[in-house]
This record gives sequence, structure tokens and C-alpha cells, in this order.
Amino acid sequence: MIEFQSVSKQYSADALALQDVSLNIGKGELVYLAGPSGAGKSTLMKMVAAIERPTSGRVIVNGQDIGRIKKAGVPFLRRNLGLIFQHQRLLNDRSILANVMLPLLVTGSPKSQAEGRARAALDKVGLLERANALPMELSGGEQQRVAIARAIVNRPQIILADEPTANLDRAAADRVLDALRAFHSVGVTCVISTHDDFVLGSSNARVIRLEHGALVADAIGDVAGHPEGGQA
Amino acid sequence: MNVWFRQHRFALGAAFGQVRKTPGSFLFNVLVVAVALALPFAGVTLLENVRPLSQQLSVDPEISLFMKQDATREQAQAVDPQLQHILAGSHAKVSFVPREQALDSLRAKSGLTDVLETLGDNPLPDSYVMKLDGFANSNADAARVDGLAEQMRALPGVDSVQVDSAWVKRLAALLNVLRMALLLLALTLGVVVIAVVFNTIRLQVLTQREEIAVSKLLGATNDFIHRPFYYTGALLGLCAGAVALGAVTLALRPLNTAIAEFARLYASEFQLAPLPPLGLVALLAISAGLGLAGAMLSVQRHLARLK
Repeated sequence: MIEFQSVSKQYSADALALQDVSLNIGKGELVYLAGPSGAGKSTLMKMVAAIERPTSGRVIVNGQDIGRIKKAGVPFLRRNLGLIFQHQRLLNDRSILANVMLPLLVTGSPKSQAEGRARAALDKVGLLERANALPMELSGGEQQRVAIARAIVNRPQIILADEPTANLDRAAADRVLDALRAFHSVGVTCVISTHDDFVLGSSNARVIRLEHGALVADAIGDVAGHPEGGQA
Repeated sequence: MNVWFRQHRFALGAAFGQVRKTPGSFLFNVLVVAVALALPFAGVTLLENVRPLSQQLSVDPEISLFMKQDATREQAQAVDPQLQHILAGSHAKVSFVPREQALDSLRAKSGLTDVLETLGDNPLPDSYVMKLDGFANSNADAARVDGLAEQMRALPGVDSVQVDSAWVKRLAALLNVLRMALLLLALTLGVVVIAVVFNTIRLQVLTQREEIAVSKLLGATNDFIHRPFYYTGALLGLCAGAVALGAVTLALRPLNTAIAEFARLYASEFQLAPLPPLGLVALLAISAGLGLAGAMLSVQRHLARLK
């Protein structure tokens, strides 16, 4: 489903974000991308979403080569992805229901259908009763759950969550992770980037660890404290 | 087709939503654009009113042919059939004016009897006066009259030929100048309209930068993102066009009061009328088109910078 073949990304002469990364993420997998800030996690995620293109190597997502995809094809690729950002990027001038409806409206779904599905998505993350609230009226954890609802409303094949638990307290982070795991359990491929040890420690999922742009480990369970368990 | 229609409806709704969010700013921009449009619209209204009037004006140019002073009466009369030949098909009325008759007429009209008596000999030549029917004030007809006069000058014994249709040429030229000036004015103010809309949309793009970026990440196509701005630009142009046309129509009332007094002096009932419905629709379409053009230029320029 997601394949990186010797991928490097260089933003400038002295800014190598990824170097020779190769990996495969299959359909329905739950994968954590671990590593400190600046390790290249966000760059890797951006490549999957065709926000960035590789400097060398190939990135294949759903059979499409990101390096060769035409600009006009990018929106259609993204409609199969659910993107969750660290800072949510909710639109503050509209209700959370309108925020969640947006991915459906951009694809031309009828408004009534979009509203129904958005309400269902909000229900799944436990925020239906706040449908008419503005994002600013919600806590950080609730805003992140709205972002998850927005990411899954289009029934994507892949969810990409970039540091979804950053800036959240433990309880809020747990609820966010539970929501993401719930979608994984119904067959959605989930890629979650984090530098939070508690997130990695709470899971037996596959963890891909990046450092200084290079893939240093790829194994089941957290390999941070168990280098022998990982494979670079 | 349904999706296409829905997306356009969504874009139109988004454009109206933007207007509802900042009604004061939209109204101000409408007024600025309306002021720019009002002048050319007034010019078009004026020209459209004058055009049928000028087309109805009959030129009836007069050609005067003067024989040489030493030409005999026989020579002068011999010119007549040749004139008839030249004027064949021109519906012309040819009158021969003997020099004696011309002198009598001059004496009667000018009151210069005493002065003319001192001259002794009759200083006036035999002449022909030709009135041409069915000539309009077009350049083509003016050229035709010039062509006839040229042929007459070549006749034996002819001293000079005068064409008094110059005023027709002047009128035609004046109308052309007015049309050209109006066109240039319209082009200049059209650029002003585009610039105003361009800037309005630029500010909107900046205000909605985050929404645009998020929409792109959620799979919005460029068309989906551009359309609301296009509709806003067209809406701005359309509203401004309507305001400008309304202002011009209202201005016709006091103007017509003044014109009525002036026209009465010439036994005319000339009045400026508003443009016909088709003309109004055309001007509204042009206004909306200018708004759309400004929006398209702005969107192409400013959205290209957003990844």
C-alpha cells in the first residue's frame, strides 16, 4: 500500500531530511513512526500525502508513484488518505460539523449526505453532541478527535497521523489513540508518527524508527530501548 | 453532471457567504467599481441615443460648379448634358444659374447694389447648382460626392467646383472620434475595474489562506478552490454594473429636462432614453466578465504560491 524505495529528500545543500529510506507498509497495518524531532518523520508523512516529492528514489502509494504523479492527480490521491496534523488545522470560523463535512463537500457529495456522514463520524469520536460548537470552544484533545473525525469521514484507505498526541494530556492522548486503533481494527491502514514513549510503550504494533533521516529500526513493539529487537 | 452542478452551487454559496461575512467591504468595492463603470455606460447610452438621429440626417449635399469667366453661354450650356451623364443614377436636381441671375440675386440679398454698380462688368460667372438626394452622412457617401465633383472639374470651361458636404464629413468624423474616445475610456476604466477586483480577491485569498491550504490537503481540486473567488469577482462586477446602470438611468431624468428645453428651440422632441433591455443585459454581462477576469488573474497569481 505504501512503499519507499531508497528514498532521499534534500531540502537544501545542508538539509538532508531523509536518506536512502526503504520500507513497505501493507494494507490494514498499524505502524508507528518513531524518532526525535528532526528525524524525518514529518517529511516521510508529507511524501505519502504528495505534499513533498522525493529528491531520489520512489514513493509508491496505492500504486501511484508520488514522484511522477501529475499535479491534477494529487487531490484524487489525497481523497483516499485521512490526514491528521499535530495542530489539527481546523477552520475556526465554522462549526466542527462544517469542518468534518469539508472533505465530503470537496468531492462533490450532496450536502445532506455529507452532513449525515459527518454526524456519524463525530459520533464515532464521541463528539456528536458538540457538533455545532466552534473549534475554539473545545479542548485540545477534543479538537484532535474532531480532526480524526474529519480524517475518517471520507472512509480513507490510509490514515496518516502526524504527532496526534503531542500537546495532549495522558487521558486525552489515550482517547485519541483509542479512536485511531478503532479504525485500524476495521481494516484501515494507520501510520502514526510520534516521539512520545508512552504511545510506543502502549502498543505491540510495528514501529519504524528514524534518526537523522535514516531508518534505524523496523520491528514489532518499541525498539527504542531494545536495539537488538530492531532491524535497520 | 450532478457533481459539477453541486460544486458550482457550493461555490456560489461560498461566494455569497463571503459577501455576508464582510458586507461593508463588498459594498464599498461595488461602489468603487460602479463609479468606474458609470462613465463609459453613460457614454454608451448617449451614443446609442445619438446614433439613430445621426443616421436619419439626410445630407443632401450641394455641388456648385462655376464656369470660367471667359466661357461663352454656349460653352456653359454644353456642360449640362455632361453633368446629367455624370450624375446619372444619383437623383440630382440640376439648375443652371446664368451670371445675370446670379448678379441680381447677389444685389437682392447682400444690399451691395452701390458697390456692385461701381464694378461695371458682371464679375460673376455662369454656374450650375446641383442638389443631390439620398446621401447619408457616412464616409462612403462623402467620398462618392467628392468623386462626382472630381469628374466635373475635368469638364471643359469649368473653373471650379465646390462641395458643401464637408460638414457631413465633420459630423461623421466627430462621431468616430467620440466612439474612439469612448472605447479608450472604456478600456482604461475596464483596467481599473479589473485592478479593483484583483485586489479584492487578493485580500480574500490572503484571509482564507488556511482554509485553502486545508482544503487542498483534504483533496480539493484547484477548480474547487478557485470557483468561489471567480463567483465573488463576477458578483462584484455584476452588482457594480447594476448600480452604474441605475445611476445612469436616474441621471437621464434631470438631463432630459434640460435637453427638452434645448430641443424645443429646434422644434424637436429629442429625449435621451435608457438603453434597450438587450443593451442593459450586454453591459451587465460585460461588468460581470470584467469582475471574473480580475478574479481569474488574481487567483492564478496568488493561489499558485500556495502548495
